Amino acid sequence: MHDSSALSSTGETASPPAAGRSRFVLDVRQSLPAWKQSLFLAVSLGLGLALSVAILWVAGISPIDLAGELAGVFNADSLRGVLVQAAPLMLVGLAASLAFRIGFWNLGLDGQMVFGGIFAGAISIYQIGPPSTRLLLMGIAAAVGGSLWCLLAGFLKLRFRVNEIIATLLLNYVAVYFLFHLLYGAWQDAKTAFPQSTPFQPFERLTDLGYGINSGLLIAIVAILAAAWLIHYSRIGFYMRFISANPSMAKVVGIPIRAVTLWTVAISGACAGLAGFVNVASQEGRLTESYADGYVFSGVLIAFLSRNDPIVVAVVGFLIAVLFITGQTLQVFYQIPFTMVQMIEAIIVMSVASSEFFIRHRIRWIR
Amino acid sequence: MTAALALKEIRKSFDGVVVLDDAGFSGNAGEVHALLGENGAGKSSLMNVAAGLYAPEAGRIFIGGKAVSLSGPSEARANGIGMVHQHFKLVTSFSVAENILLANQRPQYRSGIKDISAAIERQAAELGFTIDPGRRVNTLTVAEQQQVEIVKVLIGGAKILILDEPTAVLTDAEAERLLETVRRLAATGTAVVLITHKLNEVKRYADSVTIMRRGKTVATLDPSTASTAELTQLTVGATQALPVRARNADTGTRLNVGGLKCTRTDGSTALEDATFFVRPGEIYGIAGVSGNGQAELAEALIGAREPASGEIWVESLGDIAHEPVSTPRIAAVGAIPADRYTFALAGGLSIADNFAVTEIRSGRYGWLGRIDRAAMAREAAEAIAEYDVRGVRNVRQKAALLSGGNAQKLVIAREFSRSPSVVVAHSPSRGLDARACIAVHQSLLSARDRGAAVVLISEDLDEVLGLSDRIGVMTRGRIVAEFARPADRQAIGRAMVDHA
Amino acid sequence: MLAFLTSWLADAPITAVPYALAALGLIISERSGVLNLTAEGLMLVGALTGVGSCLTFDGHPGLALVVAMVSASCVSLLFAGLVVVLRVNQVIAGLSIVFFCQGLTGLVGTLANWQNKHIEGMAHLAIWPFSEIPVIGRIFFMQDPVVYLTVVIFFLVNYWLSSTMMGLRIRSVGENPAAADAAGISVALHRVLAIVLGSSLIGLAGGYISVVNVKLWVTGMTGGRGWIAVALVVFARWAPWPALWGALLFGCIEAVIPHIAAAGIRVPQYLMMMTPYLATIAVMIWVGATQRVGSSEPGALGQPHVREERR
Repeated sequence: MHDSSALSSTGETASPPAAGRSRFVLDVRQSLPAWKQSLFLAVSLGLGLALSVAILWVAGISPIDLAGELAGVFNADSLRGVLVQAAPLMLVGLAASLAFRIGFWNLGLDGQMVFGGIFAGAISIYQIGPPSTRLLLMGIAAAVGGSLWCLLAGFLKLRFRVNEIIATLLLNYVAVYFLFHLLYGAWQDAKTAFPQSTPFQPFERLTDLGYGINSGLLIAIVAILAAAWLIHYSRIGFYMRFISANPSMAKVVGIPIRAVTLWTVAISGACAGLAGFVNVASQEGRLTESYADGYVFSGVLIAFLSRNDPIVVAVVGFLIAVLFITGQTLQVFYQIPFTMVQMIEAIIVMSVASSEFFIRHRIRWIR
Repeated sequence: MTAALALKEIRKSFDGVVVLDDAGFSGNAGEVHALLGENGAGKSSLMNVAAGLYAPEAGRIFIGGKAVSLSGPSEARANGIGMVHQHFKLVTSFSVAENILLANQRPQYRSGIKDISAAIERQAAELGFTIDPGRRVNTLTVAEQQQVEIVKVLIGGAKILILDEPTAVLTDAEAERLLETVRRLAATGTAVVLITHKLNEVKRYADSVTIMRRGKTVATLDPSTASTAELTQLTVGATQALPVRARNADTGTRLNVGGLKCTRTDGSTALEDATFFVRPGEIYGIAGVSGNGQAELAEALIGAREPASGEIWVESLGDIAHEPVSTPRIAAVGAIPADRYTFALAGGLSIADNFAVTEIRSGRYGWLGRIDRAAMAREAAEAIAEYDVRGVRNVRQKAALLSGGNAQKLVIAREFSRSPSVVVAHSPSRGLDARACIAVHQSLLSARDRGAAVVLISEDLDEVLGLSDRIGVMTRGRIVAEFARPADRQAIGRAMVDHA
Repeated sequence: MLAFLTSWLADAPITAVPYALAALGLIISERSGVLNLTAEGLMLVGALTGVGSCLTFDGHPGLALVVAMVSASCVSLLFAGLVVVLRVNQVIAGLSIVFFCQGLTGLVGTLANWQNKHIEGMAHLAIWPFSEIPVIGRIFFMQDPVVYLTVVIFFLVNYWLSSTMMGLRIRSVGENPAAADAAGISVALHRVLAIVLGSSLIGLAGGYISVVNVKLWVTGMTGGRGWIAVALVVFARWAPWPALWGALLFGCIEAVIPHIAAAGIRVPQYLMMMTPYLATIAVMIWVGATQRVGSSEPGALGQPHVREERR
């Protein structure tokens, strides 16, 4: 007969396992309910923000002052500033999130903004098109400019397998130097000694629409709505999801990976180009040295926090705009350098990324 | 007699899924003890606990009668346990000596290499192996790599040798040689645990056998006194009905593969020259030990890999070998790949999405600007009912939550709903339990009966023999022999070996 | 002409050293399987703390360089914690560290008032009698000690990786962590070790730029060199010596810019400044066009390791 009692011939009795080294053991979770995920996210975000507040305290800003500044942001004047700042942030966040969806690390947001501004500026400086359509042409040119600069990196990746992280980052530096070349040279405003272009004409500027809302924000919102529809309802959005979920399979089921990749890269670059356009055509009204500074990581952060969803990008973009305006205030009144904003953004990303660990793994303590 | 290795009441689960349920085992020194069970029975998991790779939630481990608690692989090794896994734990870019030095650390590198090389040659000679310690592992054959693994483990002082499905990657002749060696090793006093699902190995080489099913230990017997039927009954729970066969194929050629060649990323040739044809209404089985180019052939046929040269001619399409996967190709060729979640399903997306993806481009579910979600969900639900895919509460749930058998049924549902004229199936029943296997086999047969040309690539010779109308034997990247039904197993085995 | 060449090539090692050391530091951690993008940030940390040490302790530049190395290693522990313990996506973690360091160094540099303060730097060490040889003597034997040290470091690291037990273990962890784990080697420990050790070299690279080369601190002074170092690692196919040659190439390119201007040749200034970045991209194109994909990359580069992960 089948004898499972053979085991008892070893003569041991049941008792707790003998003491050995206790240790942590990791299990990968199959899934976690959404509310628990949000909880982990919220806790980690809270910890990150607390750490940032602590660092600011060491730098000389007590939490009370900080709270005061933050509250001050929500009065009418500052709010207008926040909304103006939100437009380019939403656009770069959108650019980053679209590219990240298919695994293309578009870190060239600064450079694409630069070329967006340059192409728009070219339309203005060379006076292409009648005044009634000039602004529209500038916008289109900006999108084309950003798109081309991003497609350059995309082409390098598809054709020469050049890693796009490095390519896009290096192209940022190239773009900025090209901008300097123009601003200190052919395009410099003859009336000043500063590296700026001649100011745009009134009809070449993005004006306020009333209630302090700048039309740049309108562009951003339209772009976001278009992207949301693209992702959730269109065929290319469906393809993007498959390419992101399983690239090996995408090939087998006939998804045109190259075409989808190039289109996505182009659209991503176009959004960043528009961000550059919004910056030069609304507040500045001309090309300056720094209209594209510091947007790379903000874009990454917004995309990361919003899990690449366009509608959430809008919300997070707004919140980061609050951070930017607060940073500017701190710079003016407390002499805290603006790079502090970058540091806080990095802390937030690291905290949220860490929470993923707890979401994906269960930790057990084994004796 | 005190058992060399004993496991009692082991419990282990992965995130709620129980893989070991009060499982137990007891093996003595000087004998070959087989651990028999189907795919997914828990055999590898149980031995992974013994080897220190998995931490059990409950239960105890005894070595030589003494209770131990293993915190990791090194402690298991210190206790004399050595395991040779199905997927070798070798660093392929290192030399044999470096790999063994890694597992048996010496204080200094240069002197350690010399020391280890001498030990390798000694140990290999004892076992009857020929191993050159200086060779890179990626230049060795699979059988030779396995020998390196065994030598590595013995040099580490293993008194208990655990082999996880060692013959899965070997030809019949290599398997025989290995198991003879293993028996000799046991005779010198080592306790050998042989994890397998092959009954004939158990009967020929094992002194005792423990049978597992669904994470539990079902029985421990002496294989010389138990009958094959008894062993089968305990392993699968109910006798399997072999499908009824025979049909005359239509004339003409539906699929013609000519001189297909595929290379790996490092330039070496994985598939040398695959040439065969399949008629409509027949199943062409490709038999052979895995690693002889089957995976590359399957990938080329389904469009996952572009061949270096050669042609794949399909009746309504022409030569598709070097074309990207187009809409007509998807309609005509159904793909059931070996790794479901690599080429067939996107685990993170919904069942409806996975079902509909092959037809999106053809416009069945809407135009470029807008896809028709409702139609996708409806047709997915219909197909799921028709092909008996269980565990689907909602077609919007993630595909990764399906069990192996149901995931495979989903793939089949999707591929067959297009009534393809060619079906490519690669190891379609790998990792499935008996019932799911039967369902898959029946699907392939009904596709054949409907007039499709089916290519069945599988390492499981029983599967190939049971289903195929014609069989091609694949060795070293070529089809070296063809047989028609009824095929002689011995002849096939010889064909695999003669050209190896 | 000869004078131009001599002064240009004599400057090349100085510009090459940061690239070489940073690339070597990255190679060490990437050979253990960790995709490391932190160079730009850690170089800034090294640069800042090096200058800070000089200004605070009124000290020897050697001490400043040690401080730079230690600080970069400390910050790298954060990176190690993120990618090894918490299994965070290594690209995101690397980028975050870079921007964190950019922000932090900018903040500290401004608050501590270390910006634009000149320091002494390091004197050249002439290796007599070789330094008397015309042309060659000036290029190869009249450099600051760190240049010579860099060559020594390359020898040491190369030997360490290829011919010691620790090097074997680290390489195994990068090629096949499952195999290393089964052999009883702690994947986590060795990866952290590789990261920390490699980061000390990256910190040295940054410290060298600020303490020895430019002799002051300015926010963001590394200007993208860290990213070029990342590209160099790919170009060098993860092996030490090719990284040195690549660094020398880039050193020559970067060093020529001021010399061309000084020679009176009129080239648009900002277009010249683009050359290192364009050259890097050109090198990457060359690598991609000529190399077979994935043949020398460490087998497990970029993938976090979890032992009990079930497929």
